[in-house]
Amino acid sequence: MRIDYRIDYPVRLRVNFEVAGFTILLGQSGEGKTTLFRALAGLLPAEGEPFGGLLPQHRAVGYLPQGYALFPHLRAWENVAFALPRGPQRRAQALELLLRLQLVDVAEQYPAALSGGQQQRVALARALARKPQLLLLDEPSSALDAGTRDEVMAELISEIHEFGLPALAVSHDPHLAALADRVAVMSSRHIVQQGSPAEVLARPGSAAVARLLGHRNLFTARVAGHETSTGVTLLRWEAANGTILRLPQQSELAAGQLVQWMIAPAAVRLPSLEPEPHHVDNPVAGRVEARLNLGAYFQVALRCGTERLWLAAQSNLVRKHGLETGCEVTVDLRSDGLLCWPQLG
Amino acid sequence: MSAPADVQSADGLPRARGPVMIGAATLLLIAGPFIALTFATHWSDFHFASGDVGSIGVSLGYSLISLVLIVALGTPLAWWLARHSFHGKWVLEAIILLALLTPPLAMGILLTTLYGPYGPVGSLVAHTGVELTNSAPAFVLAQFYGALPYYVVAARAAFEGVPRELEHIALALGKSPWQTFWLVSMPLARLGLAAGIALAWVRALGEFGIVLILAYYPQGIPVKLWVNLQDIGLDAVYPLLWVFFLVAMPLPLMLGLASRRQRLF
Repeated sequence: MRIDYRIDYPVRLRVNFEVAGFTILLGQSGEGKTTLFRALAGLLPAEGEPFGGLLPQHRAVGYLPQGYALFPHLRAWENVAFALPRGPQRRAQALELLLRLQLVDVAEQYPAALSGGQQQRVALARALARKPQLLLLDEPSSALDAGTRDEVMAELISEIHEFGLPALAVSHDPHLAALADRVAVMSSRHIVQQGSPAEVLARPGSAAVARLLGHRNLFTARVAGHETSTGVTLLRWEAANGTILRLPQQSELAAGQLVQWMIAPAAVRLPSLEPEPHHVDNPVAGRVEARLNLGAYFQVALRCGTERLWLAAQSNLVRKHGLETGCEVTVDLRSDGLLCWPQLG
Repeated sequence: MSAPADVQSADGLPRARGPVMIGAATLLLIAGPFIALTFATHWSDFHFASGDVGSIGVSLGYSLISLVLIVALGTPLAWWLARHSFHGKWVLEAIILLALLTPPLAMGILLTTLYGPYGPVGSLVAHTGVELTNSAPAFVLAQFYGALPYYVVAARAAFEGVPRELEHIALALGKSPWQTFWLVSMPLARLGLAAGIALAWVRALGEFGIVLILAYYPQGIPVKLWVNLQDIGLDAVYPLLWVFFLVAMPLPLMLGLASRRQRLF
């Protein structure tokens, strides 16, 4: 389903992107994501497709706002039945939906007695009862505990898949992007990139997208020149004592130009422990400043000049290298893992 | 009343004692006149003056009619004020404020000017045979004017307290604005609306100033209390006052309890 909307008030917004399966629209707070949802639900004046020009009550949209907006004066099943047509089957249909979402035990409870995750699923059941053509989820992970968030979201997404509905979730949480079928990134009130999560996460189209996706190793450097014979562009990373970085040639960059570059922590390699010499792309020296033990692997922060470079490595490798806080190490930044964009403004 | 030795609230958490002590003292202040009344009443010689029973019927019957009119006409106005914003809205607010702050006696005079036999509306209506002074319609009119602004203010606050998001969600779930009003706005505003109805009832039933000018007849309890005081004396006031409490109290008390889902015992 293609979404093409133009909004003038309360924020000026123009978006055009594809929703397929569970799609995440990623953007900072204040980008107008909630505004877009309200417009899609017909609660704000806007132009566009789908549903253009229809009154809110005639739009087949299942809207789950942030905080879920369950009716506090109605029991869980009554909340679900709210969207169903009047008739003797109403309660049975509501209970059936609650059963499919494993909520039948709380059917008689009022929303105040439900946990955040249960409230979210009741809101989902209520939205599904509307028989929507499109589900809208506003910051679906924001009210969930950090500990159970991924699990609850994965379950929610698989339930939405089961119902076979296209769903659009807006979020500023890059965590969610990895769980989705499709990602669209919004910056400066426009869609700046869209595609599969793997594509978008591996190849952010700009530094702004990289930042929204939660990439940590984002730095500034200056183009030192091109080696046309070897097909290499050279960057001088001034903040790290003028270290020179080599990456596949990007001819559009002019020498002396400021650029932003990034590397995924997993593309930062520790030196080989074997005696024979290995090819090294970009040696960078740093001092270990912090170590985060994440179980199977470590995240290690290296101090390089005035910057902090993160690397992710398997725990056994980190132990073999004896990477304690304060020790010096020279890592290799893989050329094909380096991404760089002209600095804007 | 036992001393507040162990001050705990319904949620079982300890509370500061200062407010409770001051609250108890304030309550005693409020209760003072009624405690005095129990002592002043001649219980051994408790009897009604002639016309007292009739005034009870007048007060109850016409107050109920005014209350129905107030709710029917005041609710849409309160909704309008709560949910719409437009240029010059302050004029509407000023008009309601005007009705609130006009002294009852002055309001009675203003109503007589408008609805009296020589007033523009009064003389017009008189052609249909309906008198808008010293008549049943006049009595209802006086109560209506006395209590309506209080109801509108309370009901407006009640509607403003309903989260708009819930009304929007109801629309997004396929309900019409009218269904949304009845299924979401009204139930969620019920506490405040019940308080508004209780307030309107109390104001209408107790209205004296406006009624005195516009509808001296038929005599409801407040005017009859004054007539009894003038014609007979204090002893004729107390029994009727006790009856007034007895008939006025149940409706607001029950509304308050019902809207909070509490029981009397």
